[in-house]
Parts: sequence; C-alpha cells; structure tokens
Amino acid sequence: MNKSILGVLGALALTIAACAGATTNGGASGSPAATTAAKPDIKVGAVLSLTGVGNVYGPTQRNGLQLAVDAINAAGGANGAKLQLIVEDDQSTTDGGITAFKKLTAQDRVTVIFGPTLSNTAVAADPVAQSAQTPVIAISNTGDGIVGKCDYGPCDYIFRVSLGESAAIPQTVKTVKAKLNIKSVVLMYAQDDKFSSDGFAIFKKNLTSAGITIKKEIAFSKNDVDLSGPVTQALAEDPDAIVDSSLAGPAIKVLQEVNRRKPGLPVIGGNGFNTPAIAKSAGAAAEGAISGAAWYLGNPSAENKAFVSAYKAKFNADPDQFAAQAYSAVYVYLDAVKRTPNPTSVLHDKLRDQLALTTGVSTPLGEVSFNASHDVSQQVYVVQIKNGQFTPIN
Amino acid sequence: MDDIGAFLVAYQTTIGTIGINALLALSVWLTLYTGQLTLGNAAFAGIAAYSSALLTLKAGLPFPLALAAGAMLAAAVSVPLGATVFRLRGVYLAIATLAFGEVVRVAILAIPITGRGQGLVGIPPKTELWHVFASLVVIAYVCARLRSSSVGRAWAAIREDEVAAASQGIPVRRYQLVAFVLGALIAGWAGGLAAHFDYAIQPDEFGFARAVQILVFAVVGGIPNVFGPILGALLFTALPAILQPLQEYRDIFQGAILVLVIVFLPRGLVTVFELRRTARLRTMGAEDVA
Amino acid sequence: MADQIYNAIFIGSIYALFALGFTLVFSVLDILNLAHPALFTLGAFTALFAMQQGVPAALAVVVAFVVCGIAGVALDRVAFAPLRARGAPPLSAMISSIGVALIITRLIQFAYGPDFQSYPAGSLPAAVYSLAGVELDTLRSVIIACAIGLMLALTYLVRRTRLGRELRALAENPRAARLLGIDVDRAIAATFFLSAGLGGVAGVLYGFATNSPFSQMGLAFELKAFAVMIVGGMGSIPGAVLGAYLLAFGEIASLAVLPSELRDAFAYGLLFIVLLVRPAGVLGRRPPDRV
Repeated sequence: MNKSILGVLGALALTIAACAGATTNGGASGSPAATTAAKPDIKVGAVLSLTGVGNVYGPTQRNGLQLAVDAINAAGGANGAKLQLIVEDDQSTTDGGITAFKKLTAQDRVTVIFGPTLSNTAVAADPVAQSAQTPVIAISNTGDGIVGKCDYGPCDYIFRVSLGESAAIPQTVKTVKAKLNIKSVVLMYAQDDKFSSDGFAIFKKNLTSAGITIKKEIAFSKNDVDLSGPVTQALAEDPDAIVDSSLAGPAIKVLQEVNRRKPGLPVIGGNGFNTPAIAKSAGAAAEGAISGAAWYLGNPSAENKAFVSAYKAKFNADPDQFAAQAYSAVYVYLDAVKRTPNPTSVLHDKLRDQLALTTGVSTPLGEVSFNASHDVSQQVYVVQIKNGQFTPIN
Repeated sequence: MDDIGAFLVAYQTTIGTIGINALLALSVWLTLYTGQLTLGNAAFAGIAAYSSALLTLKAGLPFPLALAAGAMLAAAVSVPLGATVFRLRGVYLAIATLAFGEVVRVAILAIPITGRGQGLVGIPPKTELWHVFASLVVIAYVCARLRSSSVGRAWAAIREDEVAAASQGIPVRRYQLVAFVLGALIAGWAGGLAAHFDYAIQPDEFGFARAVQILVFAVVGGIPNVFGPILGALLFTALPAILQPLQEYRDIFQGAILVLVIVFLPRGLVTVFELRRTARLRTMGAEDVA
Repeated sequence: MADQIYNAIFIGSIYALFALGFTLVFSVLDILNLAHPALFTLGAFTALFAMQQGVPAALAVVVAFVVCGIAGVALDRVAFAPLRARGAPPLSAMISSIGVALIITRLIQFAYGPDFQSYPAGSLPAAVYSLAGVELDTLRSVIIACAIGLMLALTYLVRRTRLGRELRALAENPRAARLLGIDVDRAIAATFFLSAGLGGVAGVLYGFATNSPFSQMGLAFELKAFAVMIVGGMGSIPGAVLGAYLLAFGEIASLAVLPSELRDAFAYGLLFIVLLVRPAGVLGRRPPDRV
C-alpha cells in the first residue's frame, strides 16, 4: 500500500509541476477586448491585508478604494467606461500576496493593482506584477526599495502614492530642529519590525546630517509588554527629545512613560504615529507628539473636506491616512487612464507611461505627482498632536 | 488548458508552500514518532534559510550546493543541542527547544549581515515546484521506509515506554538523537527551499508561531504514518484558498477544525481512512497511541 | 536606579499575574493551556464593555474575573474534558487549546476590530506622586498592589483551604484523589475558574496600564510565561511569582549591561541555562523526569 500510493503521489506531483512549468510565463495570451456598444468595464485590482496582522490597515484601505471607485462611476467613469474593483486578501503573508498578485494578473487580468498593504509583502509580490507588466500603485508601503531602485531588478511598473519615510523624515527632522531647537536626542526603535528598522536607519542618517547628536540608540522588541525600562534609560541621557521609530503599540507606551517622568519632553516619530489610536489611548500623554505625515484629518482644502464628509457619510467614522492614500491613488490612476488610449488592452505599457507623467493631480493629500523614480511627490505635513488632533507645524 | 494554466500560475505559490510545509511537518513527525515534543524545527529551517540565501546571494554558490550547505549547518547545530536537551522530558524538552528557537531569532536580529529586522531581500528565486515535490517524494519515501524498518520499530518502542525500551537493549539516546538530527536536516532543506521561493525572508517567519504551526500540521494530520503530516500541511495551507469567500471566518474554521479533530479523531486526520482500526483500539483504551 | 526598580516591580507583577493562572492549570492538570492569552484578552475587553455601559473600573475588574472564570470552565468542558475522559496525552490538550484561542480572539475582533481600543476617558486614575524621590503613579501602584494581593490570596487558597488541599491532591495523583472521595470534576472546574479568572484580571489590569487593549495583546505574554514557569519552577505557584520577578529584574538589569538588541536573548538564554542546570527551576519540586 505504501509504495503504490507513493507512486501516485509522485505522478501527481510531476503532473502539477509540468503544467505549472509550461505556464510560468504569466498566461499572457488573452482574448482581444470586445467592441460592443457599451464600453467594457475597466478592471482594477487591490491586494489588501484584510486578515492577519495587517488587518488593522486593510479594511480602511478598502473603504477608501471603494469610495473613490463608486464616486468615479457615479460621475460617468473613465471616459465612459466603469471601473470594476476586485479586492483580494493577502492574509498579511508574502505567500498570500504573491498568490493574490498572480490571480489578479493571470486570471482577472486587471489593469492595475493597488497595494499590497505591508512592505514585507510588497518586496515579494511586486516582482510578479512587474513580470506580468501590470502597473502597481503602492498605497501604504513607505520603506526603501519599493520603487525606483528595487532589489529584484527593474521595477518600472511599480509606482507609489504613499509618502515614503525617506521623504517624510528629513522634513520632520528639519522642522523640529528649526522650530524646537533640538540639539540632542535618544533614538529608540523596535528592532524586530521591518517598518521600524527601516525608519531607524532613515532617522539616524537624517539626524546625523542635520548635526543633531544621537546620545544613545536603544533597541526594543515590538512585543515588549512594557517600555518603562528603555524609556527610563533614554531619559537618563537628558536629551532634548526622544525619537521613537515604531508602530503605534510601542509608541503609546513610550508616550505614556515619558509623560510620567518628564512631561513636556518632545517625542518624535515616523509614520507609525499617524493614527488616531495614539491620541485616544495615550490621551494627555500624546499631546505634543510630532511626526511627518502625508495627510491630516483637519486639512481645510476643498478636496479633503469633500472626501472626509463623504467617508463619514458612508462609513460612519472618520477616515484615516490609509483610507486617504487609497482614495487618492484611485484618482491618480483615473487621471492616467483618461490619457491612455485603449486602457483595457492586454498590454499595459502605455498605462505605465501615462502614470509616469502624473503631475499635479488634486487629491485629499494635496497635489500629487510622480517623480522620475515613480515615487510620490507631495507636500509633507509635519504634524503635532494638539488637543487630540493632528495639526501641522511646518 | 489555458484556464487550468492560469489557475496553476495563480496558485503556484500556494502549491509550493504546501510542499514546503509538508516537508517541515515531516521533520516534526520524525521527532514526534519517537515521543519527543520539539519546537525547534522552525529555527532549524531559519538557520538554513538564512545561510543558504546568503551563500547564493553573497558568495554566488550554485543553488543545490547552497541548499545542502544550509541543511548541513542546521543538522550540525542540532547535534550538540540534542545531546544537551535530551535529558529533559516532555514539556521541558519542548520549552528548551522553544528557548533555542528564540535565541536563534534574536541572533538573526543582531547579526548585521542577515539584514536584521529589515529582512534579507533580493534572494534569487531559484526554487521551482518540481524541486519541492521531488524533495517531498524522496523524503516521504525515506521516512516511510525508516518507519517500517527496525529503526522505526525502535522509535515506536521508545515512544511507548522509554524505560522498557532501554531494558530491551535499545540505545535510547542515540536513536532519539538520530531522529532529532534527521528532523533538523529535513527542516533545513525545507528552509533553504523556502528562502529561494519568495525573494525575501524575515526573522519572524521562523519563530514561535511557525513552530506551533508545523506542530499542528503534524499532530492534526496524524502520527501513524507519513501521510498524516503531509495531509495536515495540505489541509491547513490550502484552507485560506479554499475558504476564500469565507475568509473573515477563516480563523474560526481553523480553530474549530483543530478542536474537532483532536477530540474525535485522536490519532489524527489521516485516520479517517482507518476508522475501524481506531474503533478497535478504542475498545482497548489505546486510541491515542499510534 | 530607583526608577528602574519600580519599573521592574511593575513588569514582574504583570508577568506574575499572567503566569499564575497558566501555572495553576499546568500544575494541577499537566496542560499547557495556550488559550490563556485569549482569556487574558477577553478580560480586558469584558471590562471595556462593562465600562462603556457606565460600570466603574473597580467593579469592571470583578466582572471580568467572573466572566473569564466562567469562560474557563466552558473551555474545559468543550476542549479538555473529552480528552481527559479517554486519557489523551497532554499534547492533545495543548493543540485543542490553540484551536479555542483562535476562536476567542477572532470573536473579540468581530466585536471590537483589530485596532487598539481605549477605556472611557476619565475612568482610570491618572495621578502621579513622588515617593523618596521616585516618580510613581497611582494606576500602576494600584496594579502592583492588586497583583500582590491576588498572589497572596491564591497562595492562601492553595495552602490553607479544603479546595486547595483537593487541588494539591489532584496534582499529585488524580486517580488516588478520586479514590479519596474528592469530587474531581468540581475541583477541576474550580481550577479552570480560578485560572481563567486570574488571567482575565491580569488582562484588565494590563489593559488599564497601557490603555490600549487589542485583540492580539495576549501573544506577547505567551512566550514570557514559559520563561517564568521554568525559571521559577514548573508547577509551583510561589515559583511562578519568583520566576516572574526574576525575569523582570533580569530584563531591566540587562539594559545596563547588554547591548539593547540582545535583551530578549537574556530571557531565553537564562531559560535555556536553567533548564540544563536545574530543570526544576528555583523553587520547583516536581521531578522533571516524567515521560
């Protein structure tokens, strides 16, 4: 019984492998677009973390995308063609991301993919879209190596609407130096989390080149149940400010501890600070926290006010930065698609070329353009929490 | 064929991951078959993943050599580890291997060349599906042969009653060590394959959660034969894809499956093909032993 | 320095509270209940729910204790009792508990989402005071006091009450305990009620301290609980307490001595060494040689 079942197993394995090998090229032999009276829907895909560790961000991203797509379709679509949004869950894993990307490019043949939510997934899944020649617009990846110069080779199909930390942090550092006259800091960071470690490297570089002394670098774990020890150690160095490169969980704990021991000491962070959860959980301790953001709720621009009220009306809650970036990405895409002849064609190189020419698209983030590295070029809002709200200080 | 082709391309990664998870489950199966509960195989996979990836990335070593080197390194580390921890039993052994896993994870985070918290990126994607499944077929075959050989019978004897096995002249420690090191070797091989499957690896992928996950594959799949862990890996890896429309409830299904299988199919899912045998064992009160 | 001692006492108290319930089930029933972190989280969210209805914080802690206690008993009925009935090995119970943990956590997520929540504004004390030059705060001082109180209460229960004697008998030899006329099922239910209740209280207090309860908050404690149990002594209640404070003080002390990147290595390195040198832990009396 052993041997024959093993034989079947082996044969099955070889069959699967053979078929997969024969179709490894991405299945690009599609049928030509139908020419009927009504314009065919333009398929847009999204790969989001709706389950798993990233599911804090995925759902609001989906909301932002849906809101934009619905609004665009209600206003007549893209040159008369409606957008059809297909959302896949990557379960916050790289395998899930790669599978979702492959499904969207090979089976659904979407014209663009928004996402994936997490940077870890992006570095693994973006190459799939690149080789399938499908544009990707990152809506929440903020690390290095996502666009421009990528470790896996050419990545000209990858674009990014989410403000990179390498663009936000220099502005943050510049502003705190100018406005708060910071001369020395202690740099704390979560060492076992990619976002935080990336941010740490960028902070270190920019603080040093701004002439700010880093008195100590203190690493902690994103799973530390309490950060009073590291914070106490940091405060013993008597810095002008504490810089914390971490996500919201540790940030809340750092703010709480600083407020207990040295209230009023500035705490500066990266994109991990840009969530309302910080003000809600840390309360008074969050007052004065500074970070560089791509968007803030109270931005009085017409675009943003319309977005916020539409989001509130539909989802009964304030939007967050993730929703705003997702929403804006759809409008950036729309702008490019309108300039692309025959957007539902099988090849998307023209769409890619038009995306690269994106300039001054009005969004809730402000005016958005893509630079030569396909990275977003927009105003950086250096914000500070005042009365529980993010308020720009630059 | 085009539709099947598109389907296969889309799910290529899932299929490959099933294979890799099956290999990892088999590595844990080996130690469980001898009655040892170890939670270190994810760490062995991690050691091999990082070392083989660094060898192809920085030293330009050919893929098969890097894979072998990674697996050997994992096996080499397992020898002193096994020798030291086997004086412990049951839960203590499990926790010791768990502690080892954490030390490995911290080491990866501290050594600069691994990319630390940022992970190792740009790994050449050399693993093809046929590598994974050829490995699986070979390793499953070897494990099945071992199981029905005198070595396997010795392992089973050790699992039933260590003292009795020793009194029969079986060199218990040596046989346990063989299973442990073999498990580490297989886990290392799987780790090397995994590293070259996904372009990038992170320390988190080889931590406590992963160790528990592969333990679940093996235990829920079943210990009686080599198909158990393979079945367990297949079911749980494919579950998210199968439950696509119900993905919000996926965790609930997974949890429910775990409880139901453990309660109603004590020797694992694979025994659903041999329910009569289980019923017979139940009358003897022996249904939890393989 | 005094600051850091206070920090270590607080962290140790939280570790101890978490580990107490975990150790109780292990010492009486040999089960590694991996659903304990989920019960911990359940406590924090039960209190949140209660306080959102206007229940004051202190009462919410009691509510959490009771609700989680009941959940613990239910957990045993569903996931462990059937295994016990046929004498399944402890590994089965551990896997079963993993399944239940997944379900409880997901249900909490359905109710409150995966993001951080916060307790109603003004419901928690926020005062800070000075004691011998050290900045202390009311909230964490109260938590430390609660933790110590609960540890003392549990120790008293185990040492001095009839229930405690029954639990100790059960831990030694379940069959003999039954022969001696002990109502084993009732004793086991009491074990789970206490264990889960304590876990739930630990969750609430930790939730109060961080004011950021979230569905995965128990995970960070899971691994630490293993270290606490081993270092202090497997299956020993005072051992769990000692192990908790040893671990906490060690982690704080290592900040001064080791590079910060290696702080986790301290905990697990220590764990490893203890296992090799003295597997029974500092206070353990149970022979680790049981198969």
